[in-house]
Amino acid sequence: MVTLDLAKLDVRAANERIRAAGAAGEDVEVVNPDARHHIGVGLIHPINVHVRGSAGYFCAGLSDQASFEVENNVGWGLGDNMYSGSVVVGGNAGAIPGVAIRGAEIVVRGNMGSRAGQVMKAGTLCCAGNANFMAGYMMYGGRIVILGDSGERVGEDMTGGEIFVAGKVSELGSDAQLTDTAAEEIDEIREFLDRYGVSFKGGFQKIVNAGKKLRYATSERQMRSIPFFTFSGNSSYWNPKVQEDLYIKSQIGRYRIRGYGGARPLPHLSDLAFKKDLSDAGRVVDVVSKIDMYTEIGGINGANPLQLSMPVMIAPMSYGALSASTKRAVGLASSLAGIAENTGEGGMSNAQRDAATQLIFQMLGGRLGWNIHDMNRADGLEIYISQGAKPGLGGQLMAKKVTPELARIRGIPAGIDLRSPSRHPDILGADDLVIKVEELREATGYRLPVSVKLGAGRVRDDIKIAVKDGFDFIELDGMQGSTGAGSAEVIDYVGTPTLSAIIEALDALESIGRRQDIQIVLMGGIRDGVDAVKALALGADAVAFGTSAIIAGGCIACMQCHVGQCVTGIATQDPEHEARYDPEAEAKNIHRFLEGVRWQIAALTEALGYSSVRGLNRDDLVAVTPEAASITGLEYAPQYRVRGAGLEVRTA
Amino acid sequence: MCGIAGIMFKNASGRGTGKALIDMLDGCQHRGPDSTGFALYGAVSEEQLRLRFFIGEGDQANSAVERVKTELAKQGAELLEDEVIGNNYRVTVRFTGDLQQFAYAMEHNAKVISIGTSLEIVKDVGGAHDVDDRYHVAGFEGTHGLGHVRLATESDVKPEASHPFWATGFEDVAIVHNGQITNYWKMRRRLEQRGFQFTTDNDSELIAVYLADKLAQGVALREALKTSIEDMDGTFSFLVSTRDEIGYAKDRLAAKPMIMYETDELVAIASEEVSLNRLFPGQALNTKEPPPGTYDTWSRSI
Repeated sequence: MVTLDLAKLDVRAANERIRAAGAAGEDVEVVNPDARHHIGVGLIHPINVHVRGSAGYFCAGLSDQASFEVENNVGWGLGDNMYSGSVVVGGNAGAIPGVAIRGAEIVVRGNMGSRAGQVMKAGTLCCAGNANFMAGYMMYGGRIVILGDSGERVGEDMTGGEIFVAGKVSELGSDAQLTDTAAEEIDEIREFLDRYGVSFKGGFQKIVNAGKKLRYATSERQMRSIPFFTFSGNSSYWNPKVQEDLYIKSQIGRYRIRGYGGARPLPHLSDLAFKKDLSDAGRVVDVVSKIDMYTEIGGINGANPLQLSMPVMIAPMSYGALSASTKRAVGLASSLAGIAENTGEGGMSNAQRDAATQLIFQMLGGRLGWNIHDMNRADGLEIYISQGAKPGLGGQLMAKKVTPELARIRGIPAGIDLRSPSRHPDILGADDLVIKVEELREATGYRLPVSVKLGAGRVRDDIKIAVKDGFDFIELDGMQGSTGAGSAEVIDYVGTPTLSAIIEALDALESIGRRQDIQIVLMGGIRDGVDAVKALALGADAVAFGTSAIIAGGCIACMQCHVGQCVTGIATQDPEHEARYDPEAEAKNIHRFLEGVRWQIAALTEALGYSSVRGLNRDDLVAVTPEAASITGLEYAPQYRVRGAGLEVRTA
Repeated sequence: MCGIAGIMFKNASGRGTGKALIDMLDGCQHRGPDSTGFALYGAVSEEQLRLRFFIGEGDQANSAVERVKTELAKQGAELLEDEVIGNNYRVTVRFTGDLQQFAYAMEHNAKVISIGTSLEIVKDVGGAHDVDDRYHVAGFEGTHGLGHVRLATESDVKPEASHPFWATGFEDVAIVHNGQITNYWKMRRRLEQRGFQFTTDNDSELIAVYLADKLAQGVALREALKTSIEDMDGTFSFLVSTRDEIGYAKDRLAAKPMIMYETDELVAIASEEVSLNRLFPGQALNTKEPPPGTYDTWSRSI
């Protein structure tokens, strides 16, 4: 037994010792815990941890196989995302105990705080006392056993799983209903209680999902697709797309869901031009080898940075929205190009991990597919707050795409219209967020960069929070970004253009003197190396390509990503459709596109008079529209609208 | 975006309220590294008011002091003591007129931090120990007080934007708040129509004035807290203090943390248990998390 005294050791040092003890098969006792946060996070070995006192937030979080006993109380997020293993708490638990668990057994002998078991997937959360507001909120599976009273709105928006309440059920949540309890279920609960020494003889009421909100009531009739290019022209009035939109809405009586990006003209990087005459750009032979493009992202606070051969990444796109084959092609292309790929929502498959040499693992509010093992094999961790195409809203994955395989990785029932939570259970403000960031760092030994993905909304405020909460970099996503499925109105009309986003971010950081304390990866409609160079000149540290990489890999922009019947095999989970996609060939296509981007970045940087991309700056740019000038503060120079020749892509 | 703390010693003064609040705030400084503040309740001096102002530094400070002195004379407030501490100007006056009009008049001459017969607010940029170094909070021995650590998001990191907030125009009422009042402007306009002035755009000041107004109408603090939960939209956990009482209210959504510990001697409330444990190191405390939509108050017995 190893004894660790938190009056003498800080939590970071203690966690390193606990992990070492776990690996060595030794048990641990923690004395003088005094409600400190993150005790025992990230443990992946069978080990007993005895906490003699109270623990703070996220005790036992992000662990697998470990058994914890906490003598007194715990703070928010007890057992966050635990796989197997157990926690027994002698006193009370704060809000969201058992959040996102995927198999753990958690017993709280006192009362539980609000939203117990939020987004849990499997396992048992048991409380001998009373639960509180919205127990079982958005749970996807597993079992909650409450020996006292349920609290208000129990089972609010639960998708799967069961809640057993022995005391009073004061109020059912939305889409929850009472149902009969089978004798064997009671036997199983008794067995569980016996195992944890909880004596209880009474009966239970059982609460399950009522099945009213799992799918959209009316599905959208499939129409012959009108390509993006047809309706995104200059006429915004009664074009074919508007006509189709009205017709569909007359049938379904609700907002439409569609994939792809916004179609409305917005100020963008194409409204900027280079001041210098670039007609000689690209004349230098082998320009790529002459320009310093190597960029490290994520290392400013001491984590191992992503090592990018050029200031470019792949934007987060999920396995789910995209087929496994597409994720493989994108991953392979990222490896060939020496840049980083990103899992997006919904977990990391082996195929993705194998394909990409550098892979960022993204964590969303539903914690779908999130787990310690994939965190440990990631090259970066990312907290998703929102995305540019639909800031403030959760993802939508229509039933057609929620296959058994995908549901297994995400830990959810197959065949539902998955509407991902738009909020994190444990991030309700900058103050909670800082504790969450620390949890991720603690769990992975401060090895990995931690970034935040932010859809541009209130960029000025949000980026200040990002820097103050200690993120290593921000993936800032403007309104021109695309999505696999979102409400059509939101995609076109909600958000902040990419151009405004980067300017607001830089202004805000400047105003608090913290520009050097966070790196910015800009995304949202970045199409090629020319856009990339403009973004870098404005002040971004790197850019990310999403839609453009997908188009390079065969997307035909039909905007039916949400349907699940993608004819190119990209945005589908249907094996027949996916079979049309050749990941090896498409990886080469995407890679060829990325090498074109590289050449453009090098040629432009050279032509602008620099030997490194870090030389690029605002003085290289002018604005060719009044809107862009107003947004960026760059000189308004309409005479630059006619661009010189010589910038077509040439690859070696 | 912040951490809050409050403590009341129920029986006698001289229990080291200042030191206790510093410890509690240091324990949750991760929730708000930008600024730290304290609302401290000392011995009551009837008919005497203690005022604190932000005056800046150098010439700016000198001219602010002159403006304050001139205005005090104009308002018929007799200056008994004055002192410059850090960027604060602290005065004790004898004043018996209309406090609300007096406060608004003073505000036009220098940024008022607090006015009270017992209350003094001390707040500035930096951590709990930084503020203590500048203003000597540790030596403060009163019956009760509040504390706040702030992570500035929407407004700047400035001493005057830090918390706690005084209920502008009402003596001895202070508030610390974690959360966001989403019907801020609606509530503020209602109060402004009744002649109240606001000196910041901060929602904490709104809660303070809302409660102080109720108290001035003779409503008990408990009752005022109850209606505040009905009237305020948004997410909040806040603590309020007056000359003799301390209380909390928590929104119905339970979105902001709050935890409390009570014995015969004291009640301590904080955002996180780690702050409470700072007062009792090595002890397992029998704490309680207030349920959503609840409120409570405590009075000092002397």
